[in-house]
Amino acid sequence: MTVALPLRRRERGGASMRRAVLGRWLRLREVQLVLAMAAVVIASAILHPDFLAPGNISFMLADSAVTAILATGQTLVILGKGIDLSVAPILGICAVEVGFPAQNHNLNLALALMLVMGIGIMLGIGNGLLVSWARIPPIITTLATLSVYGGLQFILANGQEVVNIPNAYDTLGNADLLSGVPWVLVIAVGIAVAVALFLRQTNLGRSIYAVGNNADAAHRSGIAVRRIIFTTYVLSGLLAGIAGLIYLCHTGSADSTTGTDSNVELTSIAATLIGGTTLTGGRGGVIGSVLGAIFLSVALTAMVFARIPAIWEPAGVGALILLAMVTDRHSGTLASRARRRGGEVAR
Amino acid sequence: MIDLKLPRPAAPAATVARRADTRRRDRNWVLALVLLLVLEVLYFSVTVSGFFGNGSGLLALSEQFLDVGAIALGEAVVILAGEIDLSAGTLSSLSGIVMAVLWQQQHVEIWVAVVIALVLSGVIGAFNGLVITFFKVDSLLVTLATQFILGAVATALSGSSPPYGFPGSFVSIAGTGTIGPIPNQLVVFAVLAIGVAVAVSRTRMGRSLALIGYNRPAGRYSGIRIERTVLGAFVFSALMAGVSGILVSGLYNAARDDIGNSLLLPAITVVVLGGVDIFGGRGRISGVIVATFVLGFLTQGLLVAGDSSLSATMVTGILLIVCLVLKIGLDRRAGLDVRAMLRQRIARTSGPRRAGEAS
Amino acid sequence: MTMPFIHRVQPKTAAAPEPTAGGSGPLVDPPPASGARLVAHGLTKSFSGATVLDAVSVSFEPGEIHTLLGENGAGKSTLFKILSGLYPADAGWLELVGDRLPELTPRLALERGIYLVPQEPTLMAHLSAAENLYTGVLPRRRISALVDWGRIRKDAASSLERVGLDIDPETPARDLSIAQQQLLECARALVHHCRVILFDEPTSPLTAHETEILFGLMRALQAEGLCLGFISHRLDEVIEISDRISVLRDGRHVASFDRGTVARDDLVTAMVGREIGVRTRTRRTSDLASRQEVLRVEGLSLAPVFTDISFHLLSHEVVGMAGLVGSGRTEIAETLFGLRSADRGSVRIGERTLGHRSPRTCIDAGLIYLPEDRGRHGIFAEVDLTRNVTAGIVPRLPRRWGLLNKSEEERGASTAVARTSVKTASLGAAINTLSGGNQQRAMFSRWLMAEPQVAILDEPTRGVDIGAKDDIYDIISDLAASGMACLIISSDLEELALTCDRVLVVYEGRIVGEVGGAEITTARLGELVVGAGVR
Repeated sequence: MTVALPLRRRERGGASMRRAVLGRWLRLREVQLVLAMAAVVIASAILHPDFLAPGNISFMLADSAVTAILATGQTLVILGKGIDLSVAPILGICAVEVGFPAQNHNLNLALALMLVMGIGIMLGIGNGLLVSWARIPPIITTLATLSVYGGLQFILANGQEVVNIPNAYDTLGNADLLSGVPWVLVIAVGIAVAVALFLRQTNLGRSIYAVGNNADAAHRSGIAVRRIIFTTYVLSGLLAGIAGLIYLCHTGSADSTTGTDSNVELTSIAATLIGGTTLTGGRGGVIGSVLGAIFLSVALTAMVFARIPAIWEPAGVGALILLAMVTDRHSGTLASRARRRGGEVAR
Repeated sequence: MIDLKLPRPAAPAATVARRADTRRRDRNWVLALVLLLVLEVLYFSVTVSGFFGNGSGLLALSEQFLDVGAIALGEAVVILAGEIDLSAGTLSSLSGIVMAVLWQQQHVEIWVAVVIALVLSGVIGAFNGLVITFFKVDSLLVTLATQFILGAVATALSGSSPPYGFPGSFVSIAGTGTIGPIPNQLVVFAVLAIGVAVAVSRTRMGRSLALIGYNRPAGRYSGIRIERTVLGAFVFSALMAGVSGILVSGLYNAARDDIGNSLLLPAITVVVLGGVDIFGGRGRISGVIVATFVLGFLTQGLLVAGDSSLSATMVTGILLIVCLVLKIGLDRRAGLDVRAMLRQRIARTSGPRRAGEAS
Repeated sequence: MTMPFIHRVQPKTAAAPEPTAGGSGPLVDPPPASGARLVAHGLTKSFSGATVLDAVSVSFEPGEIHTLLGENGAGKSTLFKILSGLYPADAGWLELVGDRLPELTPRLALERGIYLVPQEPTLMAHLSAAENLYTGVLPRRRISALVDWGRIRKDAASSLERVGLDIDPETPARDLSIAQQQLLECARALVHHCRVILFDEPTSPLTAHETEILFGLMRALQAEGLCLGFISHRLDEVIEISDRISVLRDGRHVASFDRGTVARDDLVTAMVGREIGVRTRTRRTSDLASRQEVLRVEGLSLAPVFTDISFHLLSHEVVGMAGLVGSGRTEIAETLFGLRSADRGSVRIGERTLGHRSPRTCIDAGLIYLPEDRGRHGIFAEVDLTRNVTAGIVPRLPRRWGLLNKSEEERGASTAVARTSVKTASLGAAINTLSGGNQQRAMFSRWLMAEPQVAILDEPTRGVDIGAKDDIYDIISDLAASGMACLIISSDLEELALTCDRVLVVYEGRIVGEVGGAEITTARLGELVVGAGVR
């Protein structure tokens, strides 16, 4: 009983088909990022051969690991049309809370991991409850918890500073798996791949996309919208907690303003946006965010090699966000122009 | 002439009464804030010695938070239009630094330097606004990016030793001077606040602002010049940030490149606490003004009592959460259907932020 | 295991889904197929004190298309939403196949096989058509419990084929037309093996041709023994498709009719609760002498939507623009009004030629546009009536000492509101407290305040009750009598035939015909809008 419909699948010739496939590839943010990264690396390597020294590569990649893990959590939240500004103090609280026992009582690394995961989940639950049950807009909620958790971190640190961490921590934070491939990046990528699989291959993961695309439609489809949104914040908290441990291991220090002083919440959002996840929700993915985090680190290191003072680093991040935005907009405009005829999904 | 009349039942009286409530609820919110302010000041005056200081101590304390208030006034305008400006904090730093550097290194007359700093702020606001309207992108993103860039520029300009020690006339007028017991900064703030309140409620620009905040596409279809209005809001917010930077410099008698960003979050808190709908449209500047003092005296009270600045920030956050839970709860209790409200919110989160559909 | 429903009704479908025993989630297991009778007993629902449904009892029988009819606000959509679990009922209960149902949630409703095809398709724009079909209950692999994308792709293709949707299942939903999205919604119901499918005004965004396709599908589903619920405001199609019609008025079930026992007028009387005379044309070409040209459009083009649009309007004239949805009518109007920029062409309003137009310059030149989508593009929902009515003339608002003169503004607004007889308790009431008809009148008031010469009215009676429709027609006649030129864009050919002196027909972005005077009949327009006579 197939009924003829006026709009048929478009037929395409071979050549234009190939061009279309290429075009679609180039429009993928992940591909754009890899190409841009290659360009930056090649240009820097030609000008400063030291750029490719294993030590430098390892340094750059290790530097991006914390951002990558935070951005992975941030991506989950943004996919569900939220935003999480409170990841910075969550990272800080976790760094402080395992940092002192580790320094003073040589806390076991496995226990430390459990501890940061627990703390991260608890703080994430706080955000999740406020957003999904009290229905306070995400940006306001996490702005508030950024202050509240920041104050908590200050109280917990009690004016002390972690300066010395056990060897096990240091090894995890600074050793390479292979030359130029630091452990921390392996962990970050491992987490991202796991989350990417979760997003692609589970009902819960797909539900996050559904809610971000159209919460009304998701509700009609029997998805518990609020529970999904809640989950994204809990996961973001969990990942921020792990990032806190990695931060502690990598830098060997933690104090009352760790995280908030370097604005890691904004860097994580920047990496996510550069990675092609859109603030309107439901579009993007974690692999892009990890690439975004690595790209940020590579580009900023390249700036250092180009003798641009370190104080300009934030400007570099800002410029990259603007660039990512304008390029995405461009492809968006073209796409919407092409489909103007067909009508769009009601929003 | 054709007879237009045909009997139709009016909307049910109950619904009309309920919706007409919105404005009264907004007014009640402001009244509740005033009450809160009075209680708070009483509490600190009684429990914290040195807080009240015969009234003049209290007034002098206000200098400590009027920089936040100035940013909040600009931020309120942007938020009413359905946008957000995250760059206001660092722009405040930049404006102070630019003024100071011009004065110290280029030997520009201080008041000329102030004007140049404000003009530059306006230009940066225009840049924000133009990028947002021209590329039709989310203001959250654009101002996040400019926040990074402006912060870096401010740090770079200030160098290792930020300029300090401004001429006495400047410090007196923009900084710590007083008229009788009233600090000059308070006078400056009062003038700005009243100006903004009147401009928002009683000018054509203010009307356009609120309407596009409520429903951007409908504004476009009604012939409101969206781009111009949004651009104006960002220029205004940047100017206010610039003023705030001047006030900070005057207060500390030094340019500070590190303080600006810490003003942003309290400023947004003040706007939301003041009852402005974060999605745009609804809200009153009077609420924002009262909220400036509520939050300011709370923070200062805690600081005078010996709490650390971070635990004061923590209280700020808690206050914000409690107020919003209350406010959202009250709005819901006032009769909106819960699901309809959820839907409305979902629609609005996606709505105002998106550029108009037809262009 | 019971045979999947989809097999029973269409044994020949080769690619029908294979039932998987484990891990496939509860929803993919077919509910028992026989005798799915859905009965609502005494449903009552009120929103913040206003009763929307008052003890309504209806039943949906297998193999029957049961239509709910009523004015806006009569409670039809609310009833469907309760049946599909979107709203909880205050009182009353549901019975499915003789079992009393627990309080429904959307998920539970889906599990029991009840699905609502909403008024506007609500899909996930960035997700593929296939995934949209399964959202919330993606089939999973047996052991790993991971999403089984291969199966989704395969099953989706067959379900899409079943509803006659010839698209790649991987197409993102945002690339589909409204009609295709609507069919995708129907396919969702089939994927979930639903036995009760409720259609809430599915035809309002569809063209006549697309409506036929949808009706074909509905009849096929009916033949398979499903219960179908239907809501529409188009009486002719209701009479055509329905086996049973229940009329709701003010939240009460006031009448029921079986197929063939009812005439159009009976339905209208039942809906409105009083007799409404058959409307005859009130306007005819007259006093030609006093007319002058107020709008001239020459060679207006916007690729790829429309090409070479030329026409003119005279004062005192009501001109229609007929065309299918998607023919470019609304885009032409939006381009005239400066909401889109044309590739080329000129527009003259009165004496002035407007090169680069914006809505503001058009309004100031005397051209206004009443948008089709009142909720999104017209009203400021939570804003009071005054500010809504004056929104079109913000730059002209009265001032005193440089500040807005609010009392003057309110005086102006109340005059404009009185001219279109908006019924409201006060000018301070938020506009979303008014009925659809009154909101539309307020929109007319807004544009009266701009004192236009030319009014483009896009679907002026959309979302307006039958009773209020006539009032809108009267307002339009009144405007024309006062010298204004009106261009009415409408899908309702009857409406055009009733109100217009002249009708332009748009087909695929071109003006393909113009009919005037006695030639304007629904039959003639119906031929032209589908492109008959286009060389």
